[in-house]
Amino acid sequence: MRTGLTGPMGLSVALAACAGVLGLRHDVPSYPFEHRAHVLRGVNCVECHADVSSAGETGPLHFPTDAVCRRCHEKPHDERSCQGCHGEPYVRQVAELARAQLRFEHPSHMVAVHGDCVRCHSAVTEARPDSVLPKMATCFGCHQHRDQWTQRDCDGCHVDLRDEGAAPDDHLVHDGDFLREHGVRAASARDLCASCHTERQCASCHGAGTVPALPWKLAVGDVSLSGLHRAGFAARHVDEARADPGICTTCHTESSCVDCHTRESVAGTTARSPHPPGWASGEHGVQARLDPSSCASCHGGAGEQLCVGCHRVGGPGGNPHGAGFTSHKDTHHDMPCRLCHGVGG
Amino acid sequence: MSCKITANGHPRRRLVACAAAIASTVPLASRVRADPLRLRADALAETQGASSPTGLIVLQGEDARRPWVNAEGLVWAGAGASSATGDVLVLTLRLHEPHGYADARAGRFVLATGAVHPVQIDGAHVIARAPWGSTVETFGGLPVVPRFGTRSYDWLVGGRVAQRVASALTLGVSYVQRREDGELSNEEVGADLAAAPARWLDVAAFGAYDVTSPGLAEARASAAVRWTDWRFELFASQLSPGRLLPATSLFSVLGDVPSQTLGATVRWRAAPRLDLLASGAGQDVAAGLGGNGWLRATLRLDDRGDGSLGLELRRVDVPDAEWSGVRAIAALPLGKGLRYSSEIEIVVPDHPDGRGVAWPWGLSALSWRSRGGWEVAGAVEASSTPLHRYEADALVRLSCALGSISSNVPGSGGQQPAPSR
Repeated sequence: MRTGLTGPMGLSVALAACAGVLGLRHDVPSYPFEHRAHVLRGVNCVECHADVSSAGETGPLHFPTDAVCRRCHEKPHDERSCQGCHGEPYVRQVAELARAQLRFEHPSHMVAVHGDCVRCHSAVTEARPDSVLPKMATCFGCHQHRDQWTQRDCDGCHVDLRDEGAAPDDHLVHDGDFLREHGVRAASARDLCASCHTERQCASCHGAGTVPALPWKLAVGDVSLSGLHRAGFAARHVDEARADPGICTTCHTESSCVDCHTRESVAGTTARSPHPPGWASGEHGVQARLDPSSCASCHGGAGEQLCVGCHRVGGPGGNPHGAGFTSHKDTHHDMPCRLCHGVGG
Repeated sequence: MSCKITANGHPRRRLVACAAAIASTVPLASRVRADPLRLRADALAETQGASSPTGLIVLQGEDARRPWVNAEGLVWAGAGASSATGDVLVLTLRLHEPHGYADARAGRFVLATGAVHPVQIDGAHVIARAPWGSTVETFGGLPVVPRFGTRSYDWLVGGRVAQRVASALTLGVSYVQRREDGELSNEEVGADLAAAPARWLDVAAFGAYDVTSPGLAEARASAAVRWTDWRFELFASQLSPGRLLPATSLFSVLGDVPSQTLGATVRWRAAPRLDLLASGAGQDVAAGLGGNGWLRATLRLDDRGDGSLGLELRRVDVPDAEWSGVRAIAALPLGKGLRYSSEIEIVVPDHPDGRGVAWPWGLSALSWRSRGGWEVAGAVEASSTPLHRYEADALVRLSCALGSISSNVPGSGGQQPAPSR
């Protein structure tokens, strides 16, 4: 009998633990406020949130005091504050954030919805951090704001989006592989991105030559930060570049690798040269055509003279142009044509 | 704040008053609704850093009475290998019409709009918007030379025209011309598109066409569908490495061997605290056909996401770059502002070729954040790379934020992430 119960009991404990970890069951010591129970008992929202009908944009939050609770609950089970246990701490934090960051007042909205609070607070009975405030999509249900959206005029509702720091979850969603995706999303709406993000946040990655350190180092301690160059990127950067030819060039200027390679002696004819033996005899031409940006990353600028020595017109290196190559440049006068085709080239 | 009161006074007195005002706001920072002046200072020291220790100062300024103007600057200085070094990452003055009809910024910033590749410039960018959905942008400036290097005759100009159609579609056309040493180094026309025909569907794309050496330089497209706890994205791209190089580079004349990618990403919120993300793509790179894919699971340890565990598996399989990797992260709040975090990555190349059988990398960090805006983080990083059999680095970061000010890094949630909206 005892042995027979051990299995199901163990399974139940394991499932309960999993449910708690996954967020399917809340096992925190405080208790979400029992909104649903109060509504089912016929308690109207404004009976507890009495000040909400007159609350302006500023001022105290319209949370009920202990005295309000005790109007019905005449015999509280102890003398501690009701809100110390009944209600998650984050509810007040979220409400305070909204009070500080949103230009919103309840009275006119209550008139518009005829006092039906659930029209906006539809998820109030779900005890989750994201169920306290109505989603922005709920606002858009009545307020179209198309013109404000087009004009990037968010100040009508948001005090300071850059300060607010709340991630949108029903518009401009940042989930998925946002690191890869953000470029194409921002192409048509960079100014929309700028309504929340500061200039330095863009520059922390795209200001490639002027950043003091890799972004993850400036946020060391925050391992949740995603980033192209984090973790062991130094070890795998060669393979990353080969796997996506040209990707480095979208941010880095040519010859940007030289500093590090020179410092690490991964350059020239040292034992750490990235080029295998026999590189100059023919393989370099094939590889250069596959990803010319990888060559330019070290040999750009003055280093190009290395190529010109052999590949100039009449030189032993032969014609480096690929099939179908065309250019509108002046062969004799413009860079880089004149290096090989110019007078005396 | 008192800065506004002294704004018309003597410059030196004004400076002193501002400094005093900044100092006086330290204990009030958390109660101020919208701080006109915000200051953040970071110091980073690392044993292996090229410019360590490094100090960064961020200053953001805005005025509640003049909401049409704000400014932002980030300057840093560090100890280089042989001498002191430093740079200006951002120094921008922004003016904007209160209703959004016009927007202008000048100074040092990253320019990226339409199909124009991101470039950091010292210049200006002006946007004008019409009520009927038209947008006209123009920009120009000097591409930034890092570390205050000497400039040659380099400049960049361009613009973009866009039109919103039926509130769900935006179409744009852009042009950019860049000169290096007076020589034409880049001339591109581009087109971009963004559409959200339904709340559950959005599409974005852009393409840049090289005018100097005619051909497609870069094109990217993405279409995403959202449905309850699922998000599915289809993406495609084409990159021409030779055309992404400046036309003044000798390596831009080797010809055009573009690479193409077609793939999909799926995100599933399997449970309120568990996110699963998977991505796979087929690639046609110059060296042949290949592909890559990864799977990432993130488990938040609490509703607010203060603590989390993550696991990522990755496989890259294109010619000359074949490897597998696994990465695990853990962030554990210890209470009273303390947080421990750890990250481990192991990459195994298919063809080591003398570079080592595996490249492990690990980081352990302990951080503490005070309610007053101070933050201290210390970390130890260790790795084995193709270059170094063993390598270790220690990092210490000290930050202080005066007034509410966001991190320098996008996506850095810190220890107390704000809720979504």
